[in-house]
Amino acid sequence: MSRSGEDPDHNQTPTSDDIVDDGDDYEEEEEEVSEESELREQKARMEHLFHRISNDTVPLRVHDVLIKGNIKTKEALIEAEIQSLREASSVQELLKAASIANARLQRLDIFESVNITLDSGPAELPGTTNVIVEVVEYKNPLSGDIGVFSRPEARTWSLEGALKLKNLFGYGDLWDGSLVYGWEQMSEVSAGVYLPRFRGFPTPVTIRASLSSQDWLKFSSFKEKLAGVSLGLLSTKNHDLAYNLSWRTLTDPSQRASRPVRRQLGHNLNSALKYTYKIDKRNSPLRPTKGYAFVSTTQIGGLSPDSRCLRFLRQELDLRCAFPLGFYNAALNFGVGVGVLFPWGSGFRSKPSSLLDRFYLGGNFSPVCTLGGPTSVLGFKTRGLGPTELRRKVNDDSESSDSHPGTDFLGGDLAVTAFADLSFDLPLRVLREAGIHGHIFASAGSLNKLSENEYRNLSYQKFRESLRSSIGCGVIIPTKLFRMEVNYCHIVSQQATDQGKTGVQFSFSPPST
Amino acid sequence: MDEQEGKMLTLVARKACFGLPTACPSCLPVYVFLKFTGIPFLFNYNLAYPDSVQIPYVETGECYVAYNNENGGVIDTLKQDGIADLDSGLDAIPEWISMKAMITSWLADAVMYELWMGSDGTSARKIYYSDLPWPISKFLYYKQVTIAKQLLGITKENADQREKEIYRKATKAYEALSARLGEDLYFFESRPTSLDALLLGHVLFTLHALPETSDLRSKLLSHTNLVKSADCFMSNYVNTSNSTSGLQSGDPLSSGSEFQSYQSTSKFGGGSSNWRSNPRSKPKREKTEEEKTFRRRAKYFLVTQLAAVLIFLSLIGGSENVDMELDNDDDGSIYG
Repeated sequence: MSRSGEDPDHNQTPTSDDIVDDGDDYEEEEEEVSEESELREQKARMEHLFHRISNDTVPLRVHDVLIKGNIKTKEALIEAEIQSLREASSVQELLKAASIANARLQRLDIFESVNITLDSGPAELPGTTNVIVEVVEYKNPLSGDIGVFSRPEARTWSLEGALKLKNLFGYGDLWDGSLVYGWEQMSEVSAGVYLPRFRGFPTPVTIRASLSSQDWLKFSSFKEKLAGVSLGLLSTKNHDLAYNLSWRTLTDPSQRASRPVRRQLGHNLNSALKYTYKIDKRNSPLRPTKGYAFVSTTQIGGLSPDSRCLRFLRQELDLRCAFPLGFYNAALNFGVGVGVLFPWGSGFRSKPSSLLDRFYLGGNFSPVCTLGGPTSVLGFKTRGLGPTELRRKVNDDSESSDSHPGTDFLGGDLAVTAFADLSFDLPLRVLREAGIHGHIFASAGSLNKLSENEYRNLSYQKFRESLRSSIGCGVIIPTKLFRMEVNYCHIVSQQATDQGKTGVQFSFSPPST
Repeated sequence: MDEQEGKMLTLVARKACFGLPTACPSCLPVYVFLKFTGIPFLFNYNLAYPDSVQIPYVETGECYVAYNNENGGVIDTLKQDGIADLDSGLDAIPEWISMKAMITSWLADAVMYELWMGSDGTSARKIYYSDLPWPISKFLYYKQVTIAKQLLGITKENADQREKEIYRKATKAYEALSARLGEDLYFFESRPTSLDALLLGHVLFTLHALPETSDLRSKLLSHTNLVKSADCFMSNYVNTSNSTSGLQSGDPLSSGSEFQSYQSTSKFGGGSSNWRSNPRSKPKREKTEEEKTFRRRAKYFLVTQLAAVLIFLSLIGGSENVDMELDNDDDGSIYG
């Protein structure tokens, strides 16, 4: 910006003394003035540039991308994550692409820090820039982890300890070995690898081998052992495709199992493909007040040339919506979950479905927070509702001859759950600030058998009669370590063999999903 | 089917094959016993649990089960619980106890050896693993062979010696039992007892399920009265299809397992004329020595090859690193 007009005071004729003294001052002043004017010019130029960037498209081409700091990591991996930088044709696009590239490189979880700077391009090519990507790899690739997590598949808490090796071969590979001990007598040892770029696969690939055992003796008189490999083929925000090959064994060390469980004891090989589609537009996974969510999980078992593998088709659907009510931060949540399991292959109508793949309802899991198929009806214990069968009677001297042998919960092939939940802030400000809120809920569920020709006997009347329901109210207390719910449940309808209990119940879930 | 199962006695046993309603050596005695009692029963086949110690078991009513690994076995449990008893006090006789001991130890050991080590394994695979997927059946088969070796106390050093001992004891048992049986069909009082069931179970298995090359089978064939009693059982109880004393309710066919009714053409006096035996020749022992040398040499060869591959890979890997460093330096000089 140039100065316009002159000050009239500067036109006075100076005296000789003034000239001598003023000469030095004048020189100093000149220097200051020239520095100041330079700064002002630069500032003006920058302002002009920002103005152009924010209003016009400033063309700029990327001449070259330089990658520095990668000792072990293969260049191809970093190149693949910063591909969008090369295609930028303006400053705006370049800045956006740079921030995306930075985030992607950070997400690989193999660098301590990532820095992307824009340098001027070669002098002979105006309008170009060189992009410098500086990465700092982890000095120590080994890291450990121990914590308490929730497992969506088993719907239980578990204590997990894991060791991780990052970027062992320079392909961004993340190796981990973990030991898990679960609440419901479950234990697992597993090892896996995560490859962000595997050959031509568009999304990361995970391979996991695991050995696990789960004890269901108390509920269904069997123990489950599993040795398997799972391959995650596709994993994006909404889609997930995985293949699972596992050898499963059911045993009954108690020797008290009921007939349907006895018939299924033994080994089977499960070769199944699982596809999950998930969309979650709720504003919060733990206390949704607005939005909807939908999950669909499809599993096809028996994908193998060997016809002796377990053949089944399993489909789960879960739909949720939340509506804000505008007062006391209240919201109404609705949810419906449906699950169907059916064997396929020759004679599929009369074949029994596998005990391990059936649906089991029950447990103190908040239906609002657990997304993914029919899981629980509040007020009923773990595996506490559905078809049952009498266990074997053992004539012990200590037991009377009239004692009940107990029942096995067998799960079902058709599971339906539904809930309605009204959550609201409590009147006290202290409680509101702590996030403690109350809720009133109603939940219902039904579990039926379809296999072994039982689907012929299922009518609408019978389905209605098989519905169990409960209502209640409670308080939710979120803390840093866990989320606690204290609920009073009243069982409205249940069957004689169910394990629903009216009363106060506590349930704990992780602080965040 | 479930309603029928609830009302009638059900025997849960392993696969039917080789012309037998169940070909497992521990299930056959229970089957024979139930046939002798005349109680109608249903079959249910468990084809997925070959390593279970609970099978065979018998169910009746809503909640009663007699497992193989409790109270001395299924037959003893049924006797104790008053469901079926053929022995009426005979089982306390010392002679009974010693014969039972011979059958349940010497002959049982011989069958275990023959199934898992003495033959090529086709009988074992067919009976126990033919309905399991390939990876599982392979693993379980080799696991069972190891367990059988441990139970019989067989190691690489004493394998030949143990084999001889097992066959010697089996031969003695056959001689003693054959001498005691004589021309009768049953051991005691001309009526079937659980001891006859135990012996017949063993004999039926050895004759039908073991291959013709089996040494044990050829030893058994030399005792014609034992073979005759087995043939008699087959014709009186098994091959009279749909006899009132044993309803098989189509289970063998509906479970998908094969049950070819076997028509024995041997007459009661004809003895072993229709039973062929083709025992293995003795050069097997020398072959074992050759095999051992071959295996040792093969092991050395494989180890050498593996070491060569590893050295080659590490050398190649080293030269690649050198090239990479040179490239990086070049890049540095242009843009530094």
